[in-house]
Amino acid sequence: MSLVIDLVLAISLVVLAWQTLIGRSLFRGLVMFVVFGLTLAMIWARLGSPDLAMAEAAIGTGVTGAMLMVAYWRLRRAVPEAAEERVPRRPLLAATIGVLAAVLVAAIGLTTLSVLGPGGVAGYALAEALPETGLGNPITGVLVVFRNLDTLLEVAVLLAAYVGARAAMGEDSAALPLPPAQDAPLVGALVAVLVPLGLLVALYLFKAGSQDPGGAFQAGAMLAALAVVLMLAGRLRPAPEPGVWMGFALIVGTAVFSLIGVAVMAWGQPLLAIPGMWAVYVIEAAMMVSIGVTLALLFSGSAGLGVRSRS
Amino acid sequence: MMVLTWLAYALLVAGALFYLAGTVGLLRFPDALSRLHALTKADNVGLLLICLGLGILSQSPRQALLLLLIWLLALTAATVSAHLIARRALEDSAEGRSALNDLSGEPGP
Repeated sequence: MSLVIDLVLAISLVVLAWQTLIGRSLFRGLVMFVVFGLTLAMIWARLGSPDLAMAEAAIGTGVTGAMLMVAYWRLRRAVPEAAEERVPRRPLLAATIGVLAAVLVAAIGLTTLSVLGPGGVAGYALAEALPETGLGNPITGVLVVFRNLDTLLEVAVLLAAYVGARAAMGEDSAALPLPPAQDAPLVGALVAVLVPLGLLVALYLFKAGSQDPGGAFQAGAMLAALAVVLMLAGRLRPAPEPGVWMGFALIVGTAVFSLIGVAVMAWGQPLLAIPGMWAVYVIEAAMMVSIGVTLALLFSGSAGLGVRSRS
Repeated sequence: MMVLTWLAYALLVAGALFYLAGTVGLLRFPDALSRLHALTKADNVGLLLICLGLGILSQSPRQALLLLLIWLLALTAATVSAHLIARRALEDSAEGRSALNDLSGEPGP
């Protein structure tokens, strides 16, 4: 029975990927992309990787899907012809890339199968070293303790993405419009329910991350999703400047991570050694804030966000 | 316990049927409003039946309560988004556009 479910999921994933690419209208492709991401999240969940499932659903599908949708909305307003334009089909190119990608995946898969053996895989070393850190979630262990240079660079890349987006916005960074706020009474009720609940979920994910599935990336994506809801409901609006607090929030992840990572050297520790559980929580909290704010600003396409003045 | 298990399976099958009917409606109905009509049945009743079935199968009041909360949250979100889509479809049809009625990729008139 579970084999049937797995097969259905695997086949759906390939078909959805195909549909995303050959969708003749841009909008159809976007919708298929979101469904593709949700299916992928389900597959991660079935493979026993709830961390990846949550990250895929929240960042890969939720926030990215919202960004693509709002980009489509802006494209439709700015260049209506481009938004309606049929995507040309290139079957030969698609088939070539598809076959090459399949060969690559098969090669990696086969190599992994032959590599798997006792002691030869990082997973065993991780399982042995994890209890020393006091962390219960191996994903957080890898992200914050064992391979934390990668994570630090990921947060720095997000910051670079914001700087790049801001450069592309030019001078008038609040010029990109958002879809008009929906003032229906139901929207206000939904915001009143969703925002506190979402904050609770984000804080829970952050807190749970040390022992259970969760962590800074999922919690940050949750915060960004809340900001997207508030923007679409008209409670937040794009602002031309980030302001002091938002500027602080943008860099706090990279800054705190780097500061702690360098400061430990004064005690004779190697660079980026994590001095204890308190440091894991501080770094994760700072990363959560930075990830949330950066993703929200990338969605709004503006340098900053402000509360809409009541008129 | 046997009776409860069968009841749970019956609820799951009934929920799946609602989803099937909703999906068929979504694919076959002619315009946005009737599609929404079909979809909301699957969202509301189908999810409730499945959550009830899973809640019984889990045999834990805590899990059952969590499933019920998930249903309530999905219900709230689905209600508001269906409302917004319907309003947009109504505005579009008043202006003679049909962007939402048209997922086939054909450019609107």
